[in-house]
Amino acid sequence: MDTTAALRTEHLSKRFGTTLAVDGLDLTVPAGEVFGFLGPNGAGKSTTIRMLLGLLRPTGGAAWIFGDRADDVQRAHRHLAYVPADVALWPTLTGQECLDLLAGVGPGTDLAYRDELVGRFALEPDRRAGTYSTGNRQKVALVAAFATRAPLLVLDEPTSGLDPLMEREFRRCIAEAADRGQTVFLSSHQLAEVDAVCTRVGILRRGRLVEVAGLAELRRLRRSEVVVDLARPAPELRRLAELPGVADVREVSDLRLTLALTGPPGPVLGALAEADVVRIDVREPSLEEIFLDYYGEVPA
Amino acid sequence: MTATTTRRPPRAPAAGAGGSPGRLVTGIAVRQVRRGTLVVTLLAGLLPAFVAIQYRSTFEGTIGPASLAALADNPAIRTLFGPAVALDDAGGFTVWRLGTVLGVLVGVWAALTGTRTTRAEEEAGRWDLLLGGRLSLPTVVRRHLGVLLVAAALPGAALAVGLLLAGTAALGAVLFGAALAGIGMTGAALGVLAAQLAPERRTASGMAVAVLLTGLLMRMVGDGVPALAWLHWFSPFGLLGRVEPYAGDRPLPVLVLLAMVAVAGSGAVVMAGGRDVGRGRLAARDTGRRASRLLRSLPGLAVHRMRRPVLAWGAGLGAYFLLIGLLATSMIDFLRENRAFADMAAQAGFAQLGSVQGYVAALFALLAVPLGAFAATRIAATAADERAGRLSLLYASPVGRVRWVLTETAAGAGAVLLLAAIAGLATWAGAAWVGAGLGPGEALAGALSVVPVALLCLGAALAALGWAPSAVLGLGVLPAAGGYLLLVLADSFRWPAWVGDLSPFTHLAAVPAEPWDVAGAVVMMALAAVLAAAGLTRYGSRDLRG
Repeated sequence: MDTTAALRTEHLSKRFGTTLAVDGLDLTVPAGEVFGFLGPNGAGKSTTIRMLLGLLRPTGGAAWIFGDRADDVQRAHRHLAYVPADVALWPTLTGQECLDLLAGVGPGTDLAYRDELVGRFALEPDRRAGTYSTGNRQKVALVAAFATRAPLLVLDEPTSGLDPLMEREFRRCIAEAADRGQTVFLSSHQLAEVDAVCTRVGILRRGRLVEVAGLAELRRLRRSEVVVDLARPAPELRRLAELPGVADVREVSDLRLTLALTGPPGPVLGALAEADVVRIDVREPSLEEIFLDYYGEVPA
Repeated sequence: MTATTTRRPPRAPAAGAGGSPGRLVTGIAVRQVRRGTLVVTLLAGLLPAFVAIQYRSTFEGTIGPASLAALADNPAIRTLFGPAVALDDAGGFTVWRLGTVLGVLVGVWAALTGTRTTRAEEEAGRWDLLLGGRLSLPTVVRRHLGVLLVAAALPGAALAVGLLLAGTAALGAVLFGAALAGIGMTGAALGVLAAQLAPERRTASGMAVAVLLTGLLMRMVGDGVPALAWLHWFSPFGLLGRVEPYAGDRPLPVLVLLAMVAVAGSGAVVMAGGRDVGRGRLAARDTGRRASRLLRSLPGLAVHRMRRPVLAWGAGLGAYFLLIGLLATSMIDFLRENRAFADMAAQAGFAQLGSVQGYVAALFALLAVPLGAFAATRIAATAADERAGRLSLLYASPVGRVRWVLTETAAGAGAVLLLAAIAGLATWAGAAWVGAGLGPGEALAGALSVVPVALLCLGAALAALGWAPSAVLGLGVLPAAGGYLLLVLADSFRWPAWVGDLSPFTHLAAVPAEPWDVAGAVVMMALAAVLAAAGLTRYGSRDLRG
């Protein structure tokens, strides 16, 4: 068995009544990776994460955290720290008491780093949790998780309540965690955030994993948008559409042509060499475009 | 061009899709209370009618006028069981036997339902959505209050109908029902009022129930001490006594009850105006004191969560059992002088009331009910934590679910022992004050002897946590409250022995008058362990809610 993988699932499935929420998920996240877990609402991201944590019992398949079965929480949870999407705390405890409690029962906490994080996230630890906003509750869970030295951080949409300043602090913390060699499993809707911090992403759709790839690879596989400006009209370029990997050839004007390109650009460049080209602009797709592509939608 | 091109906001339609918003809120409130209302209404309708019918076949004509006068005159009897005014009548007997019990049940149920449908909804943030519409907070509160008052009055109405059908006097049945409805409505109004004051459901529930039980204590003191009889006019239970259904049949106390409802209800609506949604009128401290050192480990957390409930329940039980102790001598003297009642009490399950040991043993049996309820509320709190998602972070730590629940169970069992000890020592203190001759060891042993019933409740609550997590409180209380009721009914009406044997109370010896029933205690604790093991096994392997 591959015990070096931070997280591994095999045919992981979960059925709620007649709904198949997660369907035969096979996923391996190697140690040290910052992995983005994407998918629209209801795709099964949180269900997957709650199975990884042993909070939900899989209907089929199994999951391992550093080689320990996910349902053996006493062992598996020594390797991880978790930030839920919707953080609920005991309202009468203060933020400090919540942090103390989580440190007391958790997998080991760097108290000096925790105090530093409290300052960086501008958390007021002597307030009662009942008076905290959604974002502040999320900060408590983030501080508690980042302050652990757990080798795996499982973050379920951890920044949905954070303002841009805190969001920046969050990205720094991810980078610091990655530098320390911690593995990060980040479920998120904020594609810019995933784009900025993750090295590899998995895309979930209706409970099935439809793609797992490095971000660079993902971009390569997807279509780039090519814009060609010409010095004079070149009608023969219409034949570009016949080349492999080329689609959507459009003449915006006599002097401007756009096309979508998948795969190596060699043939297109060869064809363009015959024309009088002033400028070529090749734009890689944003993660958002890739994401929407997977769900069959076109950005407006 | 001077034409104004002001854009007009689109006009909202006059009414929403499903009727006026106010009526929609009423519908929401009705949906939240209907199931509990049905259960309590059925109980209030059937039980008294049943007792009245059974009375005819059992006691009718067995009590002479001299005995009745002695009973009515004795302050100790009045204090504990309420004024005994018409025991020669089926209806009057039913009032004496069930009036206080039903009043406490309906009042507490109404108060808890009041806080559950208002403060808990607001605390969970669901009212934010409701109030984002066209309704104001006082309107929403008023709508809920209206529904709650109707719901809380229904058990009283059912009681009146039941007793009428059972053939008791019409005026008495109607007044008894009206008084019970008034107690229920007072409880509901107090619950909604407390929900405007306290920012958390737990605190609001505690406040409302504490006010109601203070009313019960005022009734007891008013009955026991003639100089303080005026306290009745400030207590819903005292007013029920003053109505004297089937004897005095006085309507004025019912009107006073309705005035109480009006004061508490309008207070709730006034308090709802101008307050912040999600907060209470009584500001809780925003910032905490120094971080508690308890909160660094699981046992510490369990103890931390247990402190306030133990203080509150301990204060209530301590006060009640101090009173029991103080009444010891006058009660025993009465029973020695009136053999008829000693025999009757023996038939109702209170044997050996002639000695102080027998007297306190009978009342310690009552202690099992609050102890069992306390144990069930602690496991219900765990279930509530789960539903609110507060356990997700804990269970994402290297903390097994079974380990945490066992920690809470251990703390709960410890608290039950502590509360039993408080009750025992309070009884001893009261008895020692009046020189009744009860030793502290005897008092402690008597109070602790009912702990197995509370442990059985703990086991039932744990089984519910695993298999029916939304019914933890109800199923947890069942062995104590249901078992007590079963025993009293079976004894009173001479049901077959096996029916009574189903009740845990049949297997409690009258400690300190008798030695412990070791076999009974062992069986109960073994049963509790089996229930707990079944529940925990399931809890460890099922999906976590929330």
